[in-house]
Amino acid sequence: MSISINYQPTWLHRINPSFKLLVLTALFIGMLFVHNPNFLLYMIIGALLLYLFCTGHSWKVVGLLAVPLLIIFLSSSTTMIFFGEGETTWFKFGLIHITEESFYRGIHLGLRSSVFGILSLIFALTTRPVYLFYSTMQQLKLKPKYAYSFMAAIRMLPIIVEEFQTLRQALKVRGVQYSKGVKGMYEKIKLYAIPLLAQSIRRAHRIAVAMEAKKFSKDSQRTYYYHLRYTNKDVLFSIFLVVWLFLAFICSEHFIVFPVEYVR
Amino acid sequence: MKKSLTLTDILITIVIAFIFSVIYKLWGPLSSIVGVFGLHVDQLIYGMWFMAATVAFLIIRKPGVAILAELAAAQGEFLFGGQWGISLLLYGLVQGLGCELIFAMYRYKSYRLYVTCLAAVGAAVGSLILDVFYGYIDSLAVWNLTLLITARLIGSILITGVFAYYLVEALDKTGVTKAIRPITEDDYKMLDDEMG
Repeated sequence: MSISINYQPTWLHRINPSFKLLVLTALFIGMLFVHNPNFLLYMIIGALLLYLFCTGHSWKVVGLLAVPLLIIFLSSSTTMIFFGEGETTWFKFGLIHITEESFYRGIHLGLRSSVFGILSLIFALTTRPVYLFYSTMQQLKLKPKYAYSFMAAIRMLPIIVEEFQTLRQALKVRGVQYSKGVKGMYEKIKLYAIPLLAQSIRRAHRIAVAMEAKKFSKDSQRTYYYHLRYTNKDVLFSIFLVVWLFLAFICSEHFIVFPVEYVR
Repeated sequence: MKKSLTLTDILITIVIAFIFSVIYKLWGPLSSIVGVFGLHVDQLIYGMWFMAATVAFLIIRKPGVAILAELAAAQGEFLFGGQWGISLLLYGLVQGLGCELIFAMYRYKSYRLYVTCLAAVGAAVGSLILDVFYGYIDSLAVWNLTLLITARLIGSILITGVFAYYLVEALDKTGVTKAIRPITEDDYKMLDDEMG
């Protein structure tokens, strides 16, 4: 959810943010029950097309953000490929035991994480947090006190990061030495977390009291600065989704790439 | 004692969760590099994920705080360009639920160390259940699965349970927690004593 990066708004930006969030969540839950890697392969093609051509961001941004996807693919597939259970052995060396079943299962997991990585990126690149929270208040009836708290907290993030850097520099200047292992980690967390928490809790408390005084927590008869509605872009998005899933299903039945249909 | 969350409680919970996602973000890249090799060393610091829930609960001490903290932590991670995106929200939800259930079993009235550790286990179990669906972890070789579960449980108990408990204890000494905790019987008694 970049704030300062330039982009051309596309139809994806005009979809109702709550609707977009609900659809992606539903897709996520639905995909937990998909066990055919071919289907995921064709889903990824659709998601990639949307990511490459419809987010309205420059190629540089789109390209740079795509790099972590490879890491996601590798980190979510390797464990299963190397250490998964299976019958048909391909390779065995010490603890590493690659079988046909575990290989395809690993690929499946990698594809699934990648589909979600891409979808999440699309969501992040085309949704302004402020609109998202206004929309959850208006369409999903989220209580204003939650939505405004989130928006206020997001505004406090840069301050927290800045304080973190100041702390790090201060500790460095004073030449703080940490112990090794778990104890050192505890010292580190303590040295950073306590001042950060104490300061931020005080600040959040002050801001919250002011917000309550200004009735940010009021539920009924609210007026909103931004009005978000459902538009014909939501219909377009729904049609895209249905066509995309249908095509992915047809392709996975007729153009089989991976010779397995059920990896579970 | 007022039970429902006020705007103050919510804002503080979210801010606490965001701070942990800042801290986590600086540890995160390290863990994912280790994670590629599949030996689950990264699982030892997985507990950092749930830490926001126990810390926020120990500070604010109201129902619903643990779930909210986990959802906010997922949101925070997302804002920082966390690569997992939407799946985080669901993980946040089940982990928060795991914590919340344990605290609810003690009617949100016990803030002891062992309850915090139990809540950590609750969160870890929640995440493992989702991992069965999302990561097929039940299809890993037995030794590898055992390693994963053990590492995650140890990590959670140490970080989410013990670390979080002592962190809040240290935070109490700074005095910030006094302003936000709900008023208890003791506070009234103290006031009465002072008035004589």
